[in-house]
Amino acid sequence: MEKPVVVYEPFRAGLPPMREYLRSLWARRTFIAAFSRSELREQNFDSLFGQLWLVLNPLLLSGVYFLLIDVIGGKSDSSRFAHLTASLFLFYLIANSLSGGVKAITSGQRLILNTSFPRIMLPISAAVVALFRFLPTLVVFLGIHTLLSLPFSWQMFWAFPVALIAIVMSLGMAILISCINVYFRDISSMLPYLTRSLLYLSPILYEAANMSHRIKKFEVANPIFYLLDSWSRVMVHGQAPTAAGLLYSSLWALGIFIVGTYFFLSRERDFAVRL
Amino acid sequence: MKNLGLTYTTSIDKRPTLKARLKTLGRGKKHTRTVRALNDVNIDVHYGTVLGIIGSNGAGKSSLMRVISGIVPPTQGRVEVYGSVSTLLALGVGFNPAMTGRDNVYLGGLAAGMSREEIDKNFDAIAAFSELGDAIDTPMRTYSSGMFARLAFSVAAVVEPDILIIDEALSTGDAKFKEKSLNRIKELRTSDRALILVSHALATIEDICNEVVWLDRGKLMARGKPAEVIAAYREFVDARKSASSDEDV
Repeated sequence: MEKPVVVYEPFRAGLPPMREYLRSLWARRTFIAAFSRSELREQNFDSLFGQLWLVLNPLLLSGVYFLLIDVIGGKSDSSRFAHLTASLFLFYLIANSLSGGVKAITSGQRLILNTSFPRIMLPISAAVVALFRFLPTLVVFLGIHTLLSLPFSWQMFWAFPVALIAIVMSLGMAILISCINVYFRDISSMLPYLTRSLLYLSPILYEAANMSHRIKKFEVANPIFYLLDSWSRVMVHGQAPTAAGLLYSSLWALGIFIVGTYFFLSRERDFAVRL
Repeated sequence: MKNLGLTYTTSIDKRPTLKARLKTLGRGKKHTRTVRALNDVNIDVHYGTVLGIIGSNGAGKSSLMRVISGIVPPTQGRVEVYGSVSTLLALGVGFNPAMTGRDNVYLGGLAAGMSREEIDKNFDAIAAFSELGDAIDTPMRTYSSGMFARLAFSVAAVVEPDILIIDEALSTGDAKFKEKSLNRIKELRTSDRALILVSHALATIEDICNEVVWLDRGKLMARGKPAEVIAAYREFVDARKSASSDEDV
């Protein structure tokens, strides 16, 4: 039988041969699934209490914010609590992708130094873990939505494209930050400040509709502002997202994904000597 | 391997940070250094060869293994690999201590590039080789270092690739395990397979290999029969030792 031939030659800066790379990535899909599953198991996702904690953590946080802003602040409205919860759950998808992605390469040092595989698998796996942690919170939110007697409408099917944009964005962010952290290891220490800033600058503790136009125009620079606004419109109010909201959030998600992936792929052959 | 060279840039700091970069901005401080790990190495390894690679620390042995395995691309020359490659550069790569030995057989096997079907087919052989018994279903964090090493070696050694690359993996585990893994490697010496073995254990290299390559500072110093190359290497090391002790005087 003819033996397979692999040739390793010097490369020029830039992307690796994409067809070959994608084929290799596809061939390793079972490993991505197994690796993500092992990470989830490490976080006790396979136990009832582990899953409960995933839901309880953002739920308690939204309860605290609701208490501070709405009850102590004097305005009590059931849709505000739903908005806080829905937005926090989606925000956690992004934040968990960032926190999982930031160390995806540096903590995968042994794998990188000893095995040949498409390195992008590691941040993809971090994003898959964040997605699996997000899914149970959706079920909880639908329960809250029903309990608060908020409207259900056909417009809520917009949740699928909005969630897809969120997944592309979280994947892009995980890929980009994992690569940056190889060169600047203190990025992981700065990450909590970055996510906290994103939390306050995004329409989570407040609704985008209540903001003045003067401030709102600066929010184009916030990658997740329009994404969270669209999500709240769809999931809380049962309305379709605005065209501008969909456009801006799609552009940000695609932009981060493309820039992050290009940066990662053009640098990944360097990782084994940088770790 | 034709005219193989590897020069790479790596950071001087073990943990490069943005803070350090910003603090020294404009001061012309160097943050990276260039390392020439391999220099014009030419080696042909045919099926049936068990090639031992020897050399002092920093000779370029591990770099050479990583280039052959496709982990690091060469910066000069080319490597042509004919056949399936399995690498055993470190034990337990991809393992997760929170998971059971059974789960880790799958995780480690998938990390090494095996398919789930291949692992299913080889699972009983892996479990038997590891001699873990019922402990295979307990979390790996409860394993002793010997148990860990046995399972890790079993995953890599049960596969029968065309080319097997082993880097110092035999230096782990107890004496019984070392002997067992050595015997397994001897079993893998067939005419339709090539084995490349990196080790500081010169007696083992002489025992197993039918050809030896000696590297020093990235350069190929000698290649030939194990006894001859090892003797030349020993002479070189002794000469260097006595030169350094003379300097001390």
